[in-house]
Amino acid sequence: MAGQLDEAADSTRAARSATVRVGIDTGGTFTDLVATIGGELRVLKLPSTPDDPARAVLQGLSRLLGDHSAERITYSTTVATNVLLERKGARVAIVTDRGFEDLIEIGRQNRSELYALAPTRPAPLVPRHLRFGVGGRTRFDGEVEASLTDAALKRLRAALRRHRVEAIAVCMLHSYANPRTEKALAEALQALELPLSISHRLLPEYREYERLSTTVVNAYVAPRMVTHLERLQEGFGGSRMRVMQSNGSAIGVGQACAEPVRTILSGPAAGVVGAGALARFMGVERFITFDMGGTSTDVALFDGRARLRPLSHPAGYPVRTPVIDIHTVGAGGGSIARIDAGGSLQVGPQSAGADPGPACYGRGVAPTVTDANLVAGRLVADRFLGGAMPLYPARAAKALSLLGRATKSAGAATAHGVIRVVNATMERAIRVITVERGFDPRDFALLAFGGAGPMHASELALDLGIRHVVLPSNPGLLCAWGALGAPVGRELSLTIRETDPQLHALERRAQPLIRRARAELVAEGARAADIRHELYADIRYRGQSFELEVRLDAGFVEAFHEQHRRTFGHATPEAPIEVVNLRLRSYVPAAAVPPRRRGRSRAAEPLGRLRTLVGATTRMVPIFEREALGPRTRLAGPLIVVEMSATAYVAPEFTLRCDDYGNLHLELR
Amino acid sequence: MKLDPVTLAVMNHRLAAIADEMGVVLGQTGYSPNIKERRDYSCALFDQQGELVAQAAHIPVHLGSTPLSVRAAIAHLELAPGDVAAVNDPFAGGTHLPDVTVVMPIFLEGEDRPFAYAANRAHHADIGGMAPGSMALSTEIYQEGFRMPPVRIMVGGRPARDVMALFLANTRVAEEREGDLRAQLAALSVGAQRTRDLVAGLGRETVARAMEGLKEYAERLMAAELRKIPRGVYTASDQLDDDGCGSGPITLRVAIRIGGGRATVDFSGSAAQVRGAVNANYAITLSAVFYVMKCLAAEAVPANEGLMRPIRLVAPEGSIVNARAPAAVAGGNVETSQRIVDVLLRALAKAAPERIPAASSGSMSNLTIGGYDDFRQRHFSYYETIAGGAGAAPGYPGASGLHTHMTNTLNTPIEALEAYYPMRVTEYRIRRGSGGRGAFDGGDGLVREIECLTEANVSLLTERRVTAPWGLAGGGAGACGANFRIARDGRRRRLPGKTNVQLAAGERIRIETPGGGAYGRKR
Repeated sequence: MAGQLDEAADSTRAARSATVRVGIDTGGTFTDLVATIGGELRVLKLPSTPDDPARAVLQGLSRLLGDHSAERITYSTTVATNVLLERKGARVAIVTDRGFEDLIEIGRQNRSELYALAPTRPAPLVPRHLRFGVGGRTRFDGEVEASLTDAALKRLRAALRRHRVEAIAVCMLHSYANPRTEKALAEALQALELPLSISHRLLPEYREYERLSTTVVNAYVAPRMVTHLERLQEGFGGSRMRVMQSNGSAIGVGQACAEPVRTILSGPAAGVVGAGALARFMGVERFITFDMGGTSTDVALFDGRARLRPLSHPAGYPVRTPVIDIHTVGAGGGSIARIDAGGSLQVGPQSAGADPGPACYGRGVAPTVTDANLVAGRLVADRFLGGAMPLYPARAAKALSLLGRATKSAGAATAHGVIRVVNATMERAIRVITVERGFDPRDFALLAFGGAGPMHASELALDLGIRHVVLPSNPGLLCAWGALGAPVGRELSLTIRETDPQLHALERRAQPLIRRARAELVAEGARAADIRHELYADIRYRGQSFELEVRLDAGFVEAFHEQHRRTFGHATPEAPIEVVNLRLRSYVPAAAVPPRRRGRSRAAEPLGRLRTLVGATTRMVPIFEREALGPRTRLAGPLIVVEMSATAYVAPEFTLRCDDYGNLHLELR
Repeated sequence: MKLDPVTLAVMNHRLAAIADEMGVVLGQTGYSPNIKERRDYSCALFDQQGELVAQAAHIPVHLGSTPLSVRAAIAHLELAPGDVAAVNDPFAGGTHLPDVTVVMPIFLEGEDRPFAYAANRAHHADIGGMAPGSMALSTEIYQEGFRMPPVRIMVGGRPARDVMALFLANTRVAEEREGDLRAQLAALSVGAQRTRDLVAGLGRETVARAMEGLKEYAERLMAAELRKIPRGVYTASDQLDDDGCGSGPITLRVAIRIGGGRATVDFSGSAAQVRGAVNANYAITLSAVFYVMKCLAAEAVPANEGLMRPIRLVAPEGSIVNARAPAAVAGGNVETSQRIVDVLLRALAKAAPERIPAASSGSMSNLTIGGYDDFRQRHFSYYETIAGGAGAAPGYPGASGLHTHMTNTLNTPIEALEAYYPMRVTEYRIRRGSGGRGAFDGGDGLVREIECLTEANVSLLTERRVTAPWGLAGGGAGACGANFRIARDGRRRRLPGKTNVQLAAGERIRIETPGGGAYGRKR
């Protein structure tokens, strides 16, 4: 498939000297680019080149920009994720305290599946013979009990050379309290000219296993990431290149090469940031993203800003750097429905994938969610992917009839059952990111995208008590849009463990972090005056072992008690508090880029009508083309909206409206 | 009445979400490392009869036993709105004393009988008794700590201060106990509220029918699973090392009769209860059977009481698997429960050889260290279980240093342990070569060595120090575990599997945990 230039390419008004900024997202299937050239907006989508992701990126960029050269390019990528998933990373050595070489293998001693007869866990990224224990133990209070000897360092260097390792992870116990031993090791290992990942540089926080694992993952993905980013940087010429991090801000390419672990979940993070950047143009401030694809669904909560979570497990390996709190469930349009031995309808986690795909694609036979939607009349057979891919309703009906026999139902009723069950799965996922985090989903809008999101969104909203659903325009570009508008940012943390500290004492402890963040951001081209520093602390009652993150200002103690009460239902204002970690978020705010305004619409005339499942019965429902909907459109559900990449079903409880930017709003009547 | 497939799936999600959310709240609000870091707790929802309808996946040993606590609370107390019962008595629905279960009736507006119950169980790091950590080598339950038959700790929405004071006065680290209990109560409130929300949304009858329907669903799944196993009687025996009081090996025997989608699990012929603290009360044995049956089921059977309906348990009273009061039971929950799983799997290996793994380490290697912390000027009590090797299965080598079967608690991070207790971890590694050898090797055990920085009392409650975890189909056994005391001058002295010793500052305790058994002859 050839890349296609969007409509804005016809604009030639932009001055050659205009400021050019670009956001790029490479995924497994498509590479998306968004550029602002002065006031002009250009977008481009082209197939990815997984064998060499840089090729599609560079091709796309030259096609998008023509003669222009970009001042700044922000890039979001799954390269590091794939290195980890495919286990194609570097030959890493671990240097740690003697007696603790196996920590990477032991982890926390627990298993992920409670009821598996033969429990397994992912093999450690570093085999036993590449783990090196050294002396020089540090105490919890930072006192170094024994220093490393030069002879020991020499032996270590020799061993590392002999084993021809490609990257080194250094993680010593209590290095957050005193990094002296790690610094000595880093200095001694410099001579090897290998990428070094040093735990206190990456994550000076207590809990050795998570810090070690983070350091090892960093070392593991570093060489491949560095090669890839350097190739791109070369291709980008004089443009300043930035890379999206999992926390939704961007860092310079130098930082990304040193700390690639921070970019591992940057793709999905960019999507949430993109949604956040566009939200103001949709008139929503608090929303839940609902990205339902073929095999899985991502949900995330945006409450004025994206919510972060401190720990993630890409490919099963713990990584303790802040990531946007995205919750994934293994159900999507391709999920297979079946009746289990106990007589319950199960949807997923097995998926028909892209091959053979849902029964209605013409090759598979197993009934899927997509088949149910087709039978329910919520998918239009001759309009799938803009009509480019034919669907076979008879095959969907046949596949579903297998279920119908067991459920004693037929046709649309069977389809209804499948849709209800998959919606219950989605509802539970959204409860995880809302109710379990102390939020009420009814206070949020639902932002639905992905191939299947708009099909399920309005009924899901009804289940959750959500009154407002938004179907953003150009949803496929959200990630690239997120990259374009991402702030440059740096996050640093430090374990301090202080009981009942004064604010000024904490601020003093934070000074080195602030200096480091400022220096790094200035090196990335930021003006010192533009940098905002936000200081947070992880606080708990002394004796607890779980912390709450609180903004550090004059009222931080009260804020902690209040947050504790809100989160857990009680607080103990007379109890001593312990500040465990300091967290600094430094960033340069990015100016919001407005999306393209939509021209006036033709009067919205339905393309046709379709017998569709509405509630529990079927009736004829109009079908509209999304392109034909404009700012003055107001339509009452039930109805269907078709577009190139997705089909939307609007339940009868909702009214559809289109805003100036082409976003569709479904509002509960 | 059989529920339709769609309602079953939808309600399964809804009820499980309530149990999950209770678990999140308890985990986040708990005070002690045992709850926060190791997550030694479980949360569940019960119907009007006190039968389990949904449980968050936490600790298997709590699975079958929590219902007995709930039913004991219902039987002993007439719970009114705002009341909460607490119970830890192993002879009235508890497991062992440190596991404190709290039960809250959920009333609906205008009804005078509870509609359902929320409950959770958490392992408290100390509950009084003869040794810090309450995992002592006792000979009767009175030595093991504070024993509570079901009592009200909340009355009409207010804390029962007298009962609470009595409880706290009998534990070593009262502040921590209070914090953990409060977290347990917070989780109950959330469970009750969410259940009422569900009823408000769907109607009382729908929810009540769903609770019954889900139990029937689990029952059907379990029966279908049992039908896959050839009809027959499958027997096995295994043994515990000793009771720590000179009993010598203690035999467990089981005969599993399978046929027609039902099973009888009969422990007749097992040894009589013993003097030392390895007696299992009925709740423990039921939990172990529950766990094995759930593992057998290939489908994701919801964790509710219907699962056990096709299964009849015969555990002779007064035996090692159904001890009578006032037997000592501290180790029944953590050690004997593992052996019950071993003997069940050994019997089932004859019925379904293609699926059943060899014996895993078979011990949680319980270590308790307590005393007075001179540096921080406070009492301390540290409790930890140490993982071992997993047994190999057909096609899979066993994992190393992994908690298996009846426990899944996390380790305490070294950097947390050293910051809060007067101890230093001097070694923590995989015990190479301890897994059995075979076509598929058993997993290796662990070595954990800790130096006491002040004088401290150390209790060990460990198993498989004498009889090794067995292999299957010609595979070798895993290595036995071993415990050592290391003097300041480095001299090692071997300690028995179950012992209580006083360590001087600078002395070390070294635990080497058992490996897992291998599967198949080595070629």
